[in-house]
Amino acid sequence: MKTTIPRAFGMAAMAACLAAPVLAQSVTLDVTAWKGNEAEPAGLAELIEKFEGEHPDIAVELSYIGRLDTDTVIPPRLQGGDPPDVMMTDMPLVEIWGDAGLLADLGKDSEWWGRIPADLQSALESGDATYIMPLEVIGMGNFVNMGLLKKVGIEEAPTTIEELKETCGALADAEINPMIFTGGFSAPLLLIANGLEGSDDAAAALGSGDASFAENAAFDAGVDLIRALEEARCFDGRQQAGLDPWSTALSEFTGGNFAMMPQGAWNIGAFREIEGLDFVFAPLPSARDSGVALDLFGIGWSVASASENREAAQTFVEWFAKPENLQVMLDAESAYSPFDDGASGTPEQARPYDEARAAGGVINYPFALLQWPKSLEGEIWDSMTGFLLDTSARTNEDLLSRWDEAVEDDF
Amino acid sequence: MTSKRTMFLFTLPALIVLGVFFVYPIVLTVQMSFTNFTGVGQADPVGLANYERIVSRDRYPAALWVTVKFTTVVVLIQTMAGLFFAAMLHRLPAIRNLCRAALFTPAMMSFVVVGYVWQFIYSPFSGGLNAALTQVGLEGWTRGWLGDPDTALLAIAFAHVWMFTGYTTAIFLAGYANIPAEIEEAGRLDNASSWQRFRYLEVPLLAPSFTINIMLSTIGTLKTFELPFIMTRGGPDGATRTLSLEIIGQLFGKYRFGFASSLSIVMLVIVIAVAVFQNWYLRRREDVS
Repeated sequence: MKTTIPRAFGMAAMAACLAAPVLAQSVTLDVTAWKGNEAEPAGLAELIEKFEGEHPDIAVELSYIGRLDTDTVIPPRLQGGDPPDVMMTDMPLVEIWGDAGLLADLGKDSEWWGRIPADLQSALESGDATYIMPLEVIGMGNFVNMGLLKKVGIEEAPTTIEELKETCGALADAEINPMIFTGGFSAPLLLIANGLEGSDDAAAALGSGDASFAENAAFDAGVDLIRALEEARCFDGRQQAGLDPWSTALSEFTGGNFAMMPQGAWNIGAFREIEGLDFVFAPLPSARDSGVALDLFGIGWSVASASENREAAQTFVEWFAKPENLQVMLDAESAYSPFDDGASGTPEQARPYDEARAAGGVINYPFALLQWPKSLEGEIWDSMTGFLLDTSARTNEDLLSRWDEAVEDDF
Repeated sequence: MTSKRTMFLFTLPALIVLGVFFVYPIVLTVQMSFTNFTGVGQADPVGLANYERIVSRDRYPAALWVTVKFTTVVVLIQTMAGLFFAAMLHRLPAIRNLCRAALFTPAMMSFVVVGYVWQFIYSPFSGGLNAALTQVGLEGWTRGWLGDPDTALLAIAFAHVWMFTGYTTAIFLAGYANIPAEIEEAGRLDNASSWQRFRYLEVPLLAPSFTINIMLSTIGTLKTFELPFIMTRGGPDGATRTLSLEIIGQLFGKYRFGFASSLSIVMLVIVIAVAVFQNWYLRRREDVS
């Protein structure tokens, strides 16, 4: 007994000495994200567990903070010197926080930066700096209830305007509501996609006021297209203009009351769980055969400039850029990789949209890349609602000049 | 002298609380309203540009006009409805407590729940209101209540009134409790009808309740954003975009903290002006009563 106790103390002391360097190196990363909760898991729990397994010296503490709450919760921490090490961000946040010097420059010499396609690269740059490592791109297209289309003998989702009109006519003849077309979000998606597809002016020029929406022939034709779709009985503008695209429209589509609905691919997961809903996620119909795959650059990771664990944070961010790790998130989100490897996590229902992307029908949603000012988005939704309420009473110029005024109003 | 110093010392904690939590934030908001602050980083002074912007664009006076219309409709209908229910319940003591609790229940519910419930009631496709109208043969009246600019604001106002009428009723019932029984008794002895007692005795004597109800509902409604935010997000085409909703949109959608501050100051001035005028007018009416 006498010899056992000193030996035990000795062994404990040795163990402590051996463990000391490990403890000194271990860090806990404070990570915030508006995904990773029960509603939108995004594979984060699985990924963090895997990351911690591969990096035993780094522990990750993930805090879920909703997107709207991020606006109010994170800025005081960033300015108060107590920032999270890594934060989920999007481009509007990057613009504000990056300009204020609150985000660390992730540099352009990393392996992942070279894999980002050139057009996205230029949109992600903030001057000479890079403040965000992109995680995913999500599609915005046309949800089509194939069960309803098959009732009128149509087997494929429409991808061209002519096909869309024919589909609408067949559905309307069968007393099936063809399309839910809300002034907020749904209708603007179709108009923006068709306008940008045919536009001679770059999206950035329209968003900066260097070019005018009212004088742009493609957007003018886009407004005429909306009228033509109404004439083709695709939708009842007065009835649907003011519907809430985030609640009523979704419930009407999932309830089988409408055959088509322009919306975002983030709904695919929820729609797949609805028993009996036979749907596909197709591109937005346009003049091209492929239709338009309107891609939304969504989220990424940023590192706080005042982070005390910059090195570990950088390791965490770069680890997510590895294709095998990112794939977990893409699968969970039904999203596309922002890198040039063409990886995606979309299910079979999104095959028409995948095909449109493969055929080169991709257009980036200009708000997500800050090509168009945020205030314009609200004005587009409002003005489209007003337009749809009475398409015959408002001219194309009435509608599009409001967009120009919103751009001019942004300061 | 000692007494004055003691009084000052006793009021000091309250003054500190007022200063720190009320005056200082207002001063800070005024200061911010002259900058282009985005919520983080440097706030550069922009002079009167934010205020100039408010008066030079149609969007902001339009939001103010929507707020005024919404407040007028809500305050008028809610006060009348509250008075009606209070007058009824005053005459029906057997069911008074039960009905008061039932009427008050919506006021205890979350705005989010109320907003979503009414959104579905007003839905043009499978909504309860259109279904009820169809059932009673008024199919021609069915419409997208929240999607039509002519009805959206009224539809939200109705939901707001439904939510807070119980509150107004409770205040009027408290006012009824303060009316001396002898006055009612005198009215009855003079053979005054129920309507005459209501019109010539109860309404004048309920003047303090009118003051409280109108003041509270006006101030609360002028600042409201919850139901318009949940039910229409300010649409269709700005028909329900109140000033508060505009401020929220500028703050968290567009990160224009400086500009949102100037809108807040405009709203504060309007609320104070309306409250002071109402207080002066209604108090004067109490004195006359």
